[in-house]
Parts: sequence; structure tokens; C-alpha cells
Amino acid sequence: MNFRFGTSAVPFALSALLAAGAAGCGHKEYVRDSHDPSIDNAAMSTGIDKDDIQRMLSENLNNLRNAPIMDLWRSHKGADTVAVFPFQNATSEHIDSQLSAVLSESETWLVESGVVTMISRERQNQMIAEVEGSQHPVFNPAHVAQYGRQLGAKYFVTGKVEASDERTDDARRVQYFFFMQVIEIETSAIRWQHKAYITKAVR
Amino acid sequence: MLRTGCLAIAAAASLLIGCGGHEARTLKMRTALDVGAPREAIGALNEELDVKKDDELPKDLEGDNALLVLDRASIQQSLAQFPAASRDFEAADKAIDMLDLAHNAGDTIGQYVFSDSAGRYKAPPYEKLLVNTLNMINYLERDDLNGARVEARRLAVMQRYVAEQLHEKDNAILGLGGFLAGFAFEKSGDADEALRYYDEALAFSGYRALRDPVRALAKVGSYKTPRITSLDGPEPLPEPLEKSGDGEIVLVVGYGRVPHKISNRIPIGLALTLFANDISPNDAATANKLAAQGLVTWVNFPTLGKAQGAYETPACRVDAGYVQLEEAVDIAEQVRTEWHKVEGKIVASAISRMVVRLAAGVGIQAATQNSKSGAVQVVGLLASLGTQGALAALDTPDTRSWETLPARVAVTRVRVPAGRHQIRLEARGVVRTQTIDVPKGGWKVVSLMALR
Repeated sequence: MNFRFGTSAVPFALSALLAAGAAGCGHKEYVRDSHDPSIDNAAMSTGIDKDDIQRMLSENLNNLRNAPIMDLWRSHKGADTVAVFPFQNATSEHIDSQLSAVLSESETWLVESGVVTMISRERQNQMIAEVEGSQHPVFNPAHVAQYGRQLGAKYFVTGKVEASDERTDDARRVQYFFFMQVIEIETSAIRWQHKAYITKAVR
Repeated sequence: MLRTGCLAIAAAASLLIGCGGHEARTLKMRTALDVGAPREAIGALNEELDVKKDDELPKDLEGDNALLVLDRASIQQSLAQFPAASRDFEAADKAIDMLDLAHNAGDTIGQYVFSDSAGRYKAPPYEKLLVNTLNMINYLERDDLNGARVEARRLAVMQRYVAEQLHEKDNAILGLGGFLAGFAFEKSGDADEALRYYDEALAFSGYRALRDPVRALAKVGSYKTPRITSLDGPEPLPEPLEKSGDGEIVLVVGYGRVPHKISNRIPIGLALTLFANDISPNDAATANKLAAQGLVTWVNFPTLGKAQGAYETPACRVDAGYVQLEEAVDIAEQVRTEWHKVEGKIVASAISRMVVRLAAGVGIQAATQNSKSGAVQVVGLLASLGTQGALAALDTPDTRSWETLPARVAVTRVRVPAGRHQIRLEARGVVRTQTIDVPKGGWKVVSLMALR
């Protein structure tokens, strides 16, 4: 095998290497969304971000707005008490803090709707500790009916996020399935349920 | 033009000469670990990462810093700093995945022309699988089943990738991963998912402690495989934990350190003899010609160092009694196996680079030797030597790897009466004593990573 380099090939290649090494060493700065709204646009990971949360909630809460359970609550003029329980993370991403934000957004939406009486989350945490014991006071989805009864709630809103996560040599894709439901505590009947899909990928 | 070339080469060389590669960046860390000073090891890594605190991440995680964060994660875990270890594992997990996905043709060209370390880091399968496996321990230590399940699912994604795309279906890391993931799902009340993972663990030796728990789960779960059903026997199952008032403890001990890569430099003639089968016929012909001309030309490439602590026997005591640990995985052996698969290719690319270096030098000299001016010819000769020297200096053997992995991991699972227990884990002169409260029907996970 013969290798032949022109006299200018080596410096060119080295310069290119140096340039490549130097790229990305630029100055960094802090920015706020009110000055540059585009900062919210980019997907930074395969996790869930503000845009994903807004899209998932918009799909689900718009459906809830027109659901029969909302009509029932409206007819009771705010007499129904509702608790919001943590959404289960059944995905391959550590998105618990984002799910906590989803929970707060949903709670806010229900409070602002004015059709139900929401039970305070702090009170819920106390109740969870009472049910689970002080040694392991962590929310257990299997005990939600028990929490609800002890809180005096008639309904609870909860949800679950599942995911299909796949990887190839040059891409990784996570498809999220976000389910929300309203459950009647006395009968455990599902009074409303809806879903939203989100897909994130690295490629 | 020649002057420009020389200047460019000099500039590149001045930037890179003296750079000892990844191995040199981690020398202080390894030395500190060797003398049993993990905090100093973290300090050395923080210095390399240009951060001030253990829980601070570097500004740039896109390059080899991801590997240093992975090293720091292991050491944080060995110090029982589990939240910080989790954070490091997760940051490094994503960064290394991105590096892996971004591997492109430019990297390959860089590897074949300049240096193996010019390419982006491509983690071997055992490293990909161990990130999630070891991070599961961080969550289980904190009784966080939710976090452990997320890591178990991430492991499953990687496991599928390793099996289907890399065609490695019998990686022993999967045994340890299956053991921990199965435990996370079992304690979350998901019998079928737990059985699926346990079935993977049972494909490897070293998990006898799983026999009774798997038999008990198989009674309530619907997931069945020949391996699971073969465990069933006439002997009665132990009473369920809730009924007997017992709890369970899982003990995990990692000890020693896997062999890390070290740079090596041998004459071309020796390289041609040692790696004859891996070198392309064209490169071999050129290299043989050079060797025959009596030119002493060196080939730079990485080799694998020695593992540490491979023959240690870890000890484990629960209260006053000793508990037998079973070896779950010999990670050092995984490292060696994986290395032997790629070693020939790495030496072949090193020889290709050497041939390129000589060709570049010959090219410069040829361009000037026809000049009537003796001065130009001398400058050409010097430029030729300079080019070869600079390119040789740029050729840093790729010594990147996750260096703070334990050489071996041993595990066991024991049943104890509910209540307070004193755990003592010991390996390689490192001792962890821990008092735990095991609730009735509950569980605890206690680990030791003795990275000496």
C-alpha cells in the first residue's frame, strides 16, 4: 500500500483536527425565556420537559373538562371532595420530579375549575405516613383506597406513565404513554380515564 | 507552504506532546485508592474535572469527563454516599450513551490516522450493563424501589441492545443485574417481572440463595420457564415472611479493581510477529519493508494491566454469625475477554498509523529532494523528521476505560428475624459496619465496594 500526502495535506489535516478540538469551547451565558423564548424549544434529553408536560396535560385535562364526571361534579356545586395521588413512574427514565410537577399542575387545574373541593397534599402525606407506618412512610399505590377513605375523599385522581424504550447502534427512542384516571373511592370504579402519547429520541 | 506545515505541526505537537492520555489523568486517583484513601481519590478526580465539590458535575460532560464522573460514582458508592453516587451514575450514563450513539466515520478516520484516543469513547458491553446494575444498589440501599425499578428497566433496554445488536447473550453481568432487578420487582409486588429477571440470574452460577424465593414467587406468578419450574421440589417452602415475622437482607460485596489499560510501545518487528493475524496484508508488507531496512520504528498501543484483589475472600457477618457469600460475577474476567476481542484490531490500527506517519514524512521529503537548493533539501529532511515525530507524539494510546469497577462481586440473601441487626462486611482491608432495622416482612440491602 502506498500512502501519498501532498506537502499541504498534513498541515491541513492537523489544522482541521485543531479546529475540531477547539469547537465547542465558546463562551457560555445564562438566558431567560422572556428574553429568548426559543430556549424552551430544544429537547435536551429523552426525559420529560415542560413542553411534554403541557402537551400531555392539555390532551388529558381537555378531555376531562367534557367528561360526564365533570358534569356530575358541577351539578354537586363543589361538594365532592377529591384527592390527588402520586403518578406512578413505570418508565426507564428518572422522571419523578417531572411527574410531581404534573401532579401539581393537575391539582391547580382542578382547584381553578371550582367544581370540587381538593384535599391538601400535606394532609395526604400525613395520612400516607399513618397508613404505611413511620418506618417506611412512602406512598404505596396498593393502599390508595385506604388513604382516600381516611382522608374523607370521595374521589381521587391518579395516573401512570409507562414507556417503550428501544435502542439501536445509533439511536435511542422512548415512547411515553401517560394515563390519567378518576376513581370513586367507595366502589373503586374508574369514573374517567384518558391517555396521551409523547415520544422522545436521540438520533 | 513548508513553513506553514512545520508551524501547524509544531502547534499541534505543543498542544498534545506530554499528554499521557486517560491513564495519566487517573494516576492520582488510582494511587489514592491503592493506599485506601477514597476521599483523596475523589479529590483527584474533582481536580481533573475542574469542580470544587463531590456533588458538582463538570461543565462539559461530552468528552472523556463522562468516564471520570463514572469513576467518581463508583468511589462515592464505596463511601456509602449513595445519593451523590446515583447522581454521578445517571449523569455519566446519559453522557456515555450519547458518546456511543454519536460514534461516526470521522472518529474512525481519526483513529486510523492520528490516535486511537482521537475517537469518541465507545463503552464495551460490560460497562454499559454495569452502570445500571451498580446504580440499582444505590437505590436499594436507600429503600427506594421506584428508583431501582427505573434502573432495572434501563438495564433491560441495554441488555436487549447488547443481545440483539451486539450478539452477546451470555454476558455474566446480566446475572448480577437479574438478581438485583428481580429483587426490586419482587419487593414491589410484581411477581412476574421479578421471575423474568430472576430467570436471567439463574442462567449463571452463584445464585443459590435465590432458590427458595423463586420457588415461592413461582406459586403466585404466571411467568414460567424450564429453569424456574426445575427448581420446584418436594421439600416444603419456608413460611412467608409476613407470617413468620421475619425480614430479609441482601448483601453485596464488590472487591478489588478491574485491570485498567496502560500504554505500550514496542518495535515494529515485534508487533508484526505478535499480531501477524490481525494486520492487513498491505500494511504488513509496508511494515515488513521498513523492518527489513533496519529502521527502528515504534508502535504505540494500549494493553491491559493487572487486576487487583482477584484472589480475595470477602467476609460477611450478620450479628455474631458469619454468612457465606457467593461469587456473582468476575468482572475482571469480563474485561479481559472483551479486551482480547478487540486487541488485534487496535494493534492493526496502530500499525496503520505508523505507516501513515512514515508516508507523510516521505511525502514531504520527496517534495523537496528535487530542489537544486541544498538548503531546501535540508529543510525538507528536517520537516519530514518533524512530521513523523509530531504525528508519533500525537499518537496517544487509547487507555480510556471505567477503572474503578470492582474486580469481583459476591452476593447473598439471608432471612433474619425482624428487628435491629449489626452487619459487618469486609474485603481487601476495608470494613463497613452498619446497624439496620429490618421491618416485619420487610427487607434491607447493604453493600460494600472495596476498590483496592
